[in-house]
Amino acid sequence: MSAKSETEVTHGWGSKKLPQPDTAGAFRAKHAGGLAEGGCRFAMPVHLLGFLLVAPALAIVVLLFVVPLISSITGAFEVGGTVSLGNFTKAFELYSGDMLFTLAIVLLSSALIGLFSIMIGGYLTLGSNPRAVAILRWIYRWPLFIPFIVVGQILRTFLAKNGLMNNIFIELGLMTPLSAMSFLDWRGIVIAFVWKQTPFVALLLSGAMASIDRSTIEAARNLGANRLRILIEIVLPQVRTTLLVGLILSFVTMMSVLSVPLMINAQSPTMITANMAFRINAYRDYGVANALGLISLLMTSAVAWVYLRQTMREHSR
Amino acid sequence: MKAKLIASTLAAGLFCTPLSAAELTVITAGDKNMVDYVNEYLGPLFEKENPGTKVRVVGTGPGDAGSQKILERFEAQSKAGVAKWDADVAVVHEKFVGPMVEQKFLEAYRSKIPTGSLVTRENAKVALGTNVDGYVMPMFNSQTALAYNPALVPNPPRSYDEIVEFAKKNPKQFGYNGIKGGASGVSFVMGWIYAYGGGDPQKLMNGPFDPDEAKNWDKAFASLKEFTRNATLTPGNAGTLDMLSRGEIAIGPVWVDMFYSWKANGQLPPEMKLVLPSPGMPGQPMHYVVPAKSANKELAEKFVALATSPKVQAEGIVKRFNWYPGIDAQHVQASLDKETWEKLFTDISPEELAKYGKPFPIAPYNNAILEAYERQVGN
Repeated sequence: MSAKSETEVTHGWGSKKLPQPDTAGAFRAKHAGGLAEGGCRFAMPVHLLGFLLVAPALAIVVLLFVVPLISSITGAFEVGGTVSLGNFTKAFELYSGDMLFTLAIVLLSSALIGLFSIMIGGYLTLGSNPRAVAILRWIYRWPLFIPFIVVGQILRTFLAKNGLMNNIFIELGLMTPLSAMSFLDWRGIVIAFVWKQTPFVALLLSGAMASIDRSTIEAARNLGANRLRILIEIVLPQVRTTLLVGLILSFVTMMSVLSVPLMINAQSPTMITANMAFRINAYRDYGVANALGLISLLMTSAVAWVYLRQTMREHSR
Repeated sequence: MKAKLIASTLAAGLFCTPLSAAELTVITAGDKNMVDYVNEYLGPLFEKENPGTKVRVVGTGPGDAGSQKILERFEAQSKAGVAKWDADVAVVHEKFVGPMVEQKFLEAYRSKIPTGSLVTRENAKVALGTNVDGYVMPMFNSQTALAYNPALVPNPPRSYDEIVEFAKKNPKQFGYNGIKGGASGVSFVMGWIYAYGGGDPQKLMNGPFDPDEAKNWDKAFASLKEFTRNATLTPGNAGTLDMLSRGEIAIGPVWVDMFYSWKANGQLPPEMKLVLPSPGMPGQPMHYVVPAKSANKELAEKFVALATSPKVQAEGIVKRFNWYPGIDAQHVQASLDKETWEKLFTDISPEELAKYGKPFPIAPYNNAILEAYERQVGN
């Protein structure tokens, strides 16, 4: 609805810009002010050219993104050709536990990612041992270059009950074979997400930390603050926005990962993505899959809203 | 809309693929062993008997999802009006043959091939409640059973009641793969409903379908949820065997053929054994079907005729891949030595198989049970 009325509005503006001396145009021009009318005469072809330049990109966005998105949203409300909430009822009956599970996993992972990236960024900025800083700087980015599916595969063999990790503990005498347990459940997913996404947020965060005014840190140091206090009270408040943006982007990424839950824990409870894949692959039930998709879209839009509000505030500054 | 898009993409792909007349495409659902069977055994054999032909095999993955992909492929090509489809022979699960026949995607070819008369079993005529007589040739029959590690479980449970008892006493030692990771877990769940569903299992297996029947299952699913808390969920058919071999679980439902193959390959310790609990667990055939729009129908029929000949059923299906034969047993038994034949029945005797080997419920019950499982056990 709103999109339609918007196009009508633009259309109206376009006709106003036609340099024909019709009364309506004159009326509107009067209201818009002489300056706008003067600009229009020259801007019109430029606008058209601009539109033509953007058109191919716009068409691709509309065809490949907007149309499928709309069809999946309308599909969520369609049961046997009629509009209904049946898919949502079924999605909640079957997977409400998994929805909460997904949200909890992703929120917990985001919190841990935040914590670890602050630790890494903080040490890179405030660390006093140059060798340790150099080693950390070199090492922490590695997981960035490993695809999610490979992370899942590595952790699958690493975290299994008789996997590499437990075997090492048993060899070291820290654990008996009987007390060994598998981490291939929610913990495995959280470990995979945190391991893969921390470098990404840490990269953004350490960049932001490196670009803050060093004199604020020096001043605090001169006044006797220890490094933890400097990190929490001086550095963090200045990079808060970057941290938030990094975490939001990670949140959205994690919501969309299918490979990790499939590799590590495709049973119940599992993440929504695995359920969507199952509905489509085993039943060709696009209705419930679309409903699940829309629900995860709502979760990500909630955080996207925070992100947008943040960037708007920055732009207005 | 979406289907149309998929269909046209597929169609476009088809026109671009150069198909030489002598290339036979076999598309198969199921675990990796299905692809291996054609690649390692049946394909080369067919190529040798028909010089100049090339057998190409495509696997679509385990469980219902694998067969679902084949069904969707046929649907897409049918809707797009493609004259020659991209598969000549398909191997699908029992549950999907019915819809394929109803939508007229298949060729009725059984009477045209010489081995057609070697099959008299009921499940070659009716697939989970749908009449498919003439459209299918069973590639093999398979059965699920419980595989166990005798070192950890000296007295294996012989009934569902004893399984429940066992899981209570030995938490996390029983492992099954839920319903999303392949049919051995599905089969365990179906067996659970046969045992505790409160109704007549015969009705579930033969119909007619009555949606109200589902109400009787609440208690069974509540107890299954309780049971699953004491069990370990494994990642798939292979996952159960894998965890069994690493000692992470002591017992779990598996496909009998995969069990024997893993044992023969050394992926599973030789001590492992099988037991088929009462009142029974389901098994199912995989069927060879020929799409109605196959580009090489004659060659496809020749291929299935070879695949269901007593010689191949004996050598390939029974001896190499440890499946129960698809065609009637007496034709196969004659081409095998006694020892190989009896290996099939090492742990589960023919009598037990006859008594406790059940078919899956008819398709609508099948779906209703799976959905109720997700609603009441999974969530």
